[in-house]
Amino acid sequence: MISVRGMRHHLIDIERLDAEGKRVALIGPNGAGKTTLLEVLAGMDKLREGSVKVLGKSPSQVKVGWVGEFPDRTMLFSRVCDEVASSLRFTKVDQEDADLIVMESMAMLKRPDLLKRYTRSLSGGEKALVAFAAAIVNSPDILILDEVDSHLDEATAGIITDAVQLSGIPTLFCTQDMDRASTADHVIFLRDGRVQFSGSPAEVFGQLEDSCFYPSLWRLSQ
Amino acid sequence: MRADLDFMVEREDFKLRCVASYGEGVHLVSGVIGSGKSTMALVMASLLQCQGRYLTKGVQRTILSMQFPEYHITSSSVDDEVRSWGLDPRDVLPRAGMEDRGAIDPFKLSRGQLKRLNLACVFALDPDILLLDEPFSSLDCMVKSRVCKAIESRKDKITMVFSHERSVLPRVESISHIADGKLIHHGSTPEAVSQWASPPPYLRQALQRGARPQNITLQDSMEALCATRD
Repeated sequence: MISVRGMRHHLIDIERLDAEGKRVALIGPNGAGKTTLLEVLAGMDKLREGSVKVLGKSPSQVKVGWVGEFPDRTMLFSRVCDEVASSLRFTKVDQEDADLIVMESMAMLKRPDLLKRYTRSLSGGEKALVAFAAAIVNSPDILILDEVDSHLDEATAGIITDAVQLSGIPTLFCTQDMDRASTADHVIFLRDGRVQFSGSPAEVFGQLEDSCFYPSLWRLSQ
Repeated sequence: MRADLDFMVEREDFKLRCVASYGEGVHLVSGVIGSGKSTMALVMASLLQCQGRYLTKGVQRTILSMQFPEYHITSSSVDDEVRSWGLDPRDVLPRAGMEDRGAIDPFKLSRGQLKRLNLACVFALDPDILLLDEPFSSLDCMVKSRVCKAIESRKDKITMVFSHERSVLPRVESISHIADGKLIHHGSTPEAVSQWASPPPYLRQALQRGARPQNITLQDSMEALCATRD
């Protein structure tokens, strides 16, 4: 899914990183450089040194569905229905088709009621859900989610995971929920801008058993 | 010290009815997104009008830490931001692990760092009622554990934790849950633990396996599971 070679960018220093799979989780302490790395992979920031590939291509050639860590800073429109439809409108999708896709997406996320609301009336978690809907409507090649689940209750985070699975869209996500990270195909543990561990959940969390990063459900079944 | 709630908030498509009484200690309020956790916090911070009453006894100062830490920012440097709370950056920044960040623009911080800064300030002020709206969101597990310790240390004050955190939780005195526009007070721990409508995955699993945890932390669930094996 992603490959990184000789990346030197702000605090990030990665000689070589390869991750394959449908769902790749990026984890690590606050300030490790997770958001900085995601922004480069999403093509939102220009890489200073080195090269990165996403789905075998340069990030600018990939259609990315992005949800950032500040979901209410990225809201552009006052009505939820316009916010969710924004990427379709910008690419001039037919109005009726766009409305249908928007309705189907919010139904899949089990919150069609939000379409009637104004974005400023949404709760913090509802904003994260709307930002996710806006990212998924335009059938992106890849979803890049920056700690979206930190705004969500378990049931809603589960609905997003199901929606991602159903859509079949490859997903790179950063999370502080290790139980969720442990369900990914590949896990990358970043610390101080460097890849400390990268591999299957068993390989990575096996190295983290003595830390609080070990998934709580794994700890419980020991 | 006491906070007595008997109120209702009604907006278009939204209703929240709260009847509960909270004394000294840590109280957890859970609920899905949009259920009214932040609304309840706003009423208890006297920032939102309600029908009914919200009364406190023996309380001089209430502070709300909002879900999005960027909403709190009023200054253009981290040092001034700390001073805006009436605090000395030399005392507070080391506690947030940000000694070297005093001169920079708070908006240059990551969300996790902003949250840490805000929590360091509100804990330093040690208010009688501390309302923490999603205090753990975007923090890593090491910082979450430190925040839990700070929360648990406020034994003779009232601390309300509004959260859907799933892995690192503090030990609490009571549990409440908001659903369908109504606050359900499950009562005090340990009895409330098995009543809780939305336990985190590890606690749900421990309960399903017949354990009776004394409180809601992972440690409590592990100890209770060990006890079932004896």
